[in-house]
Amino acid sequence: MPGAHSQWSSPTLAIEGNDDRLSLDGVLGIRTLDQARQALERWRKQRKSHVLDVSKLSGLDMPGAMFLCELRDKHVELAGVQPEHEALLELIGGLQRKPLTKPPAVPRWRQLVIQLGKGADDFWHDAIDITVFVGRTMSAFGHALRHPSSLRPASISRQIAETGINALPIVGLMAVMISVVIGYQSVAQLRPYGGEEFTISLIAVSVLREMAFTAEIGVMKAREEIDALNSMGLQPFDLLVLPRMIGLIIALPLLTFFADIMGLLGGAMIAQSLLHVSPSQDMERVREAVGVSDLFVGLVKAPVFAFFIATVGCMHGLRVRGSAESVGRETTRAVVKAIFLVIVFDALFSVFFEKVGL
Amino acid sequence: MSATRSKRTEPILSARGIVNRFGKQQVHDRVDLDVEAGEVLGIAGGSGSGKSVLLKTLIGLHQPDSGKVLIDGKPIDSIGAQEKAALIGVLFQQGALFSSLSVSQNVMLPMREYTDLPVSEQEQIAAVKIELTGLSADSAVKFPAQLSGGMVKRAALARALALDPRMLFLDEPTSDLDPLTASAIDELILQLNRGLGITVVIVTHDLTTLLTVCDRIAVLVDGKITVGTVEKLARSHDPWIRDFLHGPRAQGAMKARRFNHGIR
Repeated sequence: MPGAHSQWSSPTLAIEGNDDRLSLDGVLGIRTLDQARQALERWRKQRKSHVLDVSKLSGLDMPGAMFLCELRDKHVELAGVQPEHEALLELIGGLQRKPLTKPPAVPRWRQLVIQLGKGADDFWHDAIDITVFVGRTMSAFGHALRHPSSLRPASISRQIAETGINALPIVGLMAVMISVVIGYQSVAQLRPYGGEEFTISLIAVSVLREMAFTAEIGVMKAREEIDALNSMGLQPFDLLVLPRMIGLIIALPLLTFFADIMGLLGGAMIAQSLLHVSPSQDMERVREAVGVSDLFVGLVKAPVFAFFIATVGCMHGLRVRGSAESVGRETTRAVVKAIFLVIVFDALFSVFFEKVGL
Repeated sequence: MSATRSKRTEPILSARGIVNRFGKQQVHDRVDLDVEAGEVLGIAGGSGSGKSVLLKTLIGLHQPDSGKVLIDGKPIDSIGAQEKAALIGVLFQQGALFSSLSVSQNVMLPMREYTDLPVSEQEQIAAVKIELTGLSADSAVKFPAQLSGGMVKRAALARALALDPRMLFLDEPTSDLDPLTASAIDELILQLNRGLGITVVIVTHDLTTLLTVCDRIAVLVDGKITVGTVEKLARSHDPWIRDFLHGPRAQGAMKARRFNHGIR
């Protein structure tokens, strides 16, 4: 509104006159609307015939014009409308001014039921998707085994570097830390440091790495790169999913072994500082306490976890639709689902190894 | 804004000596620009000529390396947030609608922040703005992800109009749109300018928009700016401007211009 900027702090509106004829002086705008509505509604209801003089208005904006149109619809006569205000009133008056459509309100308990149903439906579809994805992976694996030339050693080794070698420092540090914690908590009896404990740190790291799978593939999907591959007759499955999967399946057991070694080192450190057991003595005790099966259990679980982590990561990457926010959403879902699957399979493994007595 | 278009000779916005550099590359070399109240000004230039950076400088989102921008004679960085919101509405290139809010919630957000109006009143105002930009009433409850490109631009325009700003800045309002939708947006811009008296600044390389909607055009070439009416620019000796306004694509736009002016 012209004039509004100079009196920005408080655009004012004075309502003068009496009985059937009121006049507005000042700015009728979004900031004076409430005042005008309160004063004029009362006046409109008390009187039978109404004339509103708007010739002294120095500013009128769209909400103000809406209000005047509303009054006009309710048989209030507007007097002395300035030509430039008339243009605005015409524009606003020409609109239908329908109220916003609102989605019908749903009671809280029904929302709960609906959400529960949606959740179950999603879970069902997810289960099918994962099964289909695992099946496709298996068939791609089979194909690759029969035609080893279709494997891409370069991209597999790049994936091993990304998921394995680049993860060495953090995995090593975590293994040492965890063994220090366990050492402190059970100083008296030197517990065997099997592969068991370190799988936890490994899983944490590999699940986080899997975010990269989802994000990489997801961004490619969002930028239509996957469609481009398809249009060239190339299989995104062979090109993107298999190398990541094989890479992680190779890298994770190696990482497990590395973490075991680092954990033993951490154990030796804590033994030296707390119990004054020399490293060579410690090594002997470890050899007595730790069986081959401890190492074996950790190494067997690793590729299975790797398979599921890579599956979930790649699957959600391919599920990305169009936008960047979709990449973020799928990545979060992938991490949650991967952690869930890993915990489930860890539990199954524990039961299994207990039964076979390992 | 208002229907009362002020007849002041002073420009509503003026930029003086704007210099913008990115590394060694100088994008703007002491650019001066005046925007008159009530006009539609187009800012044109090739890709990478610094159109969008100039727009961001004009609305105070980008701090220039030197130079100043004045709105109503006041430096832009001295204007308070609330006053600025009522002064300037911006349509960003991708719409920049908040993806977690519905269209009507997007339009109501500035009102919610800056006015004390009851929610029912805000909803009415939002409904009118949404209708004004040509969106159907049932698209008000939709979320940005459910809208087509043209609808996103319209919804973003409705949000830019939420507080009845006196100036509207549009960054590529017709890019990525089919020609029919683009023409409808052009028509809408004219309607807002002529009907509501809003001053409009458009950054675009859409020749049809430039030639049919804009009163004056500012062309950025090699960091310098040339401002004038289409007729004046058409006589320019600058090779880029000459090619731009006389190239094969300009011929069709010129026809559209004659057609439009014939109607008006």
